[in-house]
Amino acid sequence: MGNLLVGPKPSRWRLYRTVTRNALHYLFGSALRNWFRNLGSTAPALGSMTLLLFLTGLGGMLGLVASNAASIESRSAAVLHVYLKDSATQDDIGALQSRLRSETSVKSVTFVSKDEALARAQHRPGLPELASASEGNPFPASLDVQLASVDKVGAIDALVRNDPIVDQGVGSTSYDPNGYRKLQEILFGLVAGGTALLLLITFIAVTVTANSIKVAIVARADEIGIMQLVGAPRWMVRGPFVIEGALTGMIAGVVAGGLALGLASIAIQAGAATFAQVAPGMTFKVALATALLIVVVGPLLGSASSLTGIRRQLET
Amino acid sequence: MTPLVEFVGVSRVYGQVVAVDDLSLRVSPGEMAFLVGPSGAGKSTLLRLINREVRPSHGEVWVDGLPCHDLPVTRLAELRRRVGVVFQDFKLLPRLTALENVAFALHVTDLRISDDEADERSLDALEAVGLYEKAASYPGELSGGQQQRVAIARAVVSQPPLLIADEPTGNLDQETAWQITGLLEDIAKFGTAVLVATHNMEIVARAQRRVLSLASGRLVDDVPAGRAARMLWATS
Repeated sequence: MGNLLVGPKPSRWRLYRTVTRNALHYLFGSALRNWFRNLGSTAPALGSMTLLLFLTGLGGMLGLVASNAASIESRSAAVLHVYLKDSATQDDIGALQSRLRSETSVKSVTFVSKDEALARAQHRPGLPELASASEGNPFPASLDVQLASVDKVGAIDALVRNDPIVDQGVGSTSYDPNGYRKLQEILFGLVAGGTALLLLITFIAVTVTANSIKVAIVARADEIGIMQLVGAPRWMVRGPFVIEGALTGMIAGVVAGGLALGLASIAIQAGAATFAQVAPGMTFKVALATALLIVVVGPLLGSASSLTGIRRQLET
Repeated sequence: MTPLVEFVGVSRVYGQVVAVDDLSLRVSPGEMAFLVGPSGAGKSTLLRLINREVRPSHGEVWVDGLPCHDLPVTRLAELRRRVGVVFQDFKLLPRLTALENVAFALHVTDLRISDDEADERSLDALEAVGLYEKAASYPGELSGGQQQRVAIARAVVSQPPLLIADEPTGNLDQETAWQITGLLEDIAKFGTAVLVATHNMEIVARAQRRVLSLASGRLVDDVPAGRAARMLWATS
């Protein structure tokens, strides 16, 4: 080992270090410098991107609320209330329960007594007055049948409607064929419309952002041309523009995400009592997740738009 | 001697227009030559072929051993680093100072150069063109002649073997044009081949350099240094 020479690190290492440092300095330093220098031409892209990311975020949150509402409605629509005669015995009720549970489309059967029905009615608009105007308890006992899907409600209704213990006087069951069809149509329309609206806003956001950034890049065509003429490699021409685009997108994303989060927080706090019913599933956590998504999407959209915009300026 | 620039039967056609027609020529390292001819003779196209801003329709263009006619786009930067370019309209970046404009050419082509070294070399180049004192000035604060000097400094700061200039004196008065020509001659003296397209026959006559005459895209005359100068001077 005595002949092992220990000296300074090879100059190649220093060269790599210099190249890496210069590359990072060139890419990020010049991107930052140029971003501030060209703020005038970047401002329209920044503004439109912020607005559209904000709208997309808001659309996303509304879509989530609509989807949750649709899901809740769908779940409650899949519950069939089978109203029972007051004269029905526990044995008859038990037999009907067993018959219902044997159906594959039935998820659960819950017995609701007359007292429980009365208690529930106290929370429904108009029903407490009806209860107090009547002698005794006017609400029948029922079997609440939870079905796997709304489509199966009609079949189960037909199965039990004419059972001797089912109370024909109050309409026997809660099933209303027209009502269910309408509800299904509304739910489908809500989901389809919401999805289409969100896609449209996203498409507009991407198109407007890409065009705004493209305009900002075209305004600097001379600079790109000179870079190419003096012998800059393609990645060095593209690099700072892509980072500038990411920076624009990041700022737009932070502002838009902040606005969306702020607005959602205000709405959640202002209507804390009723918000859960009006906008089910919309919590601060969901708003925060949406805002973070906007912050992540911003730079991606900005850099992708820059990459597309500059591609047309590069020689082929 | 191996030529620095070689055209072999080169033609360039734009639609129905033949800009360069079956042209062959050679330029040696360190040589200075003028390209003359009326507008539309093919001077600018010839320079653009050298810099591969356009591809030849037929024939071969070789620059410093690189086949421009067949060079993939990914290797264009390699060619461009061997060819300094000067334009009639200077093409300086208005938001950069003279020093930054010159250093820009180094920063975007060679990552091995540190900022300090780039500044040092750029100041040297500005000093060589007589603009050391104007290093911190923006293009808008400089005269046309001074802007062209900055453009020349930018073109030679990376010491390319070839400098091409397309009407470098086109926007300048005669005295300044002559100063710029003197500067280009100095550059040639240091071993960089210089090819200048110009309409200015007075500077061609005074420079006593090789003259390549073009007409309708064809090389109609190739007069060596000295003889051409006397001939043109006599007729000017």
